Amino acid sequence: MRSFKTKILVVIVTASLLKIVSCTPESCLEETDTYLIAPLYQSSQEKNVAPASLTLYGLNMEDDKIYDKTISIKSALIPLNSSAESCVFVIGINSATDTLIFWYTTFPHLISKECGYTFYHALDSLTNTGNAIDTVIIRNRYITTSDEENIRIYY
Amino acid sequence: MGYYNLEAGAQNQPPDTIILPLKIRAGAEILGPVIYLTDKNNLNTEGYISVDLNAKTGIFLGAGYSDYKYSQYNYEYMSRGYFVKAGVDFNLLKPETSRGKYWAGIGLRYGLSSFTSEIPSFEHDSYWGTTITTIPSTTSMGHYLEAAPGFRAEIFNNFSMGWSVNIRVLLYTGTGRDLRPINFPGYGAGDESVGFGINYFLSWNIPYRRIKVQINQEEPEETEETEETQGTNTTEPPGSLLSPAEYP
Repeated sequence: MRSFKTKILVVIVTASLLKIVSCTPESCLEETDTYLIAPLYQSSQEKNVAPASLTLYGLNMEDDKIYDKTISIKSALIPLNSSAESCVFVIGINSATDTLIFWYTTFPHLISKECGYTFYHALDSLTNTGNAIDTVIIRNRYITTSDEENIRIYY
Repeated sequence: MGYYNLEAGAQNQPPDTIILPLKIRAGAEILGPVIYLTDKNNLNTEGYISVDLNAKTGIFLGAGYSDYKYSQYNYEYMSRGYFVKAGVDFNLLKPETSRGKYWAGIGLRYGLSSFTSEIPSFEHDSYWGTTITTIPSTTSMGHYLEAAPGFRAEIFNNFSMGWSVNIRVLLYTGTGRDLRPINFPGYGAGDESVGFGINYFLSWNIPYRRIKVQINQEEPEETEETEETQGTNTTEPPGSLLSPAEYP
């Protein structure tokens, strides 16, 4: 019995020492960018289908487009402005252009010691024009670094 | 060694009781201050008092202070605070081995930490540009569990040294899940749900009572080797024949 206890103790101590002296990754390996994830759905088929082309940029940021008539985009990654409580995007789906406005709250989040902090958002509401977009529905209000759908855009 | 009491046994018989001193120990952790000499951004001090309740069990009460700073290219972090730990130490050594001088076992503890943390600067790049912000100082209180297997030996009269590896399970940081502390006083890295550490203690021991402890005399195990040895020590002359009933 004593030898069993001793063995258990030796295993615990050895495992802990190995963990303590083992190499700790000093570089950031995790995702640090936060995007609102917006899959694009074709209204007629109710299917996640990439439009012929997608254009997306922030209002007054036409020179810095996130997507510029890009093809094969089934899900748009939309970066919200962490310094503001709302932001406006211009979205071009095929040949028609719409405006999307998001209202949200922003809060800091620790990713890890190596990566530091990022901003997460909680989406309050949104509005859109209806040239190409039929409707937009909110699926998950919390916008984080995880790969989860937040809104669904029907066009 | 002076603790053996031969009162119960006949001469030349192993004793079946020993007198064991129960002690109060006061100790200080020395690894934290040594690390501070090489890393001025990381100070951990810790002391403890433990009291033997019997030959196997003691109660433990520890307290400490931590002052931690960290910075890298995109943020700075500071935390400082106090922690207390309380629990039970179990000695796995037999009393006749430990003799009140040696300890090899495991301590199980509950830790409570009160600390302030602050992020003096934090920089984040995105499509909209670079955001630089600060998160002001906040005070939080969290808790954790700790298992501390280790060893301790008395090297001088009533003066002992020992070490333990500490395995900690975080229960609650008090900061919310978004701003988990990078350093949680008494625990370590607050962004990990299981933490590991190592402590090296110097302790002063004060005997306060003596107890008589029964020793369990173990029957010697019979092994094939023993049987063979016994076989050669019999009075039978070598090479004598076995009776049919003695054949295996």
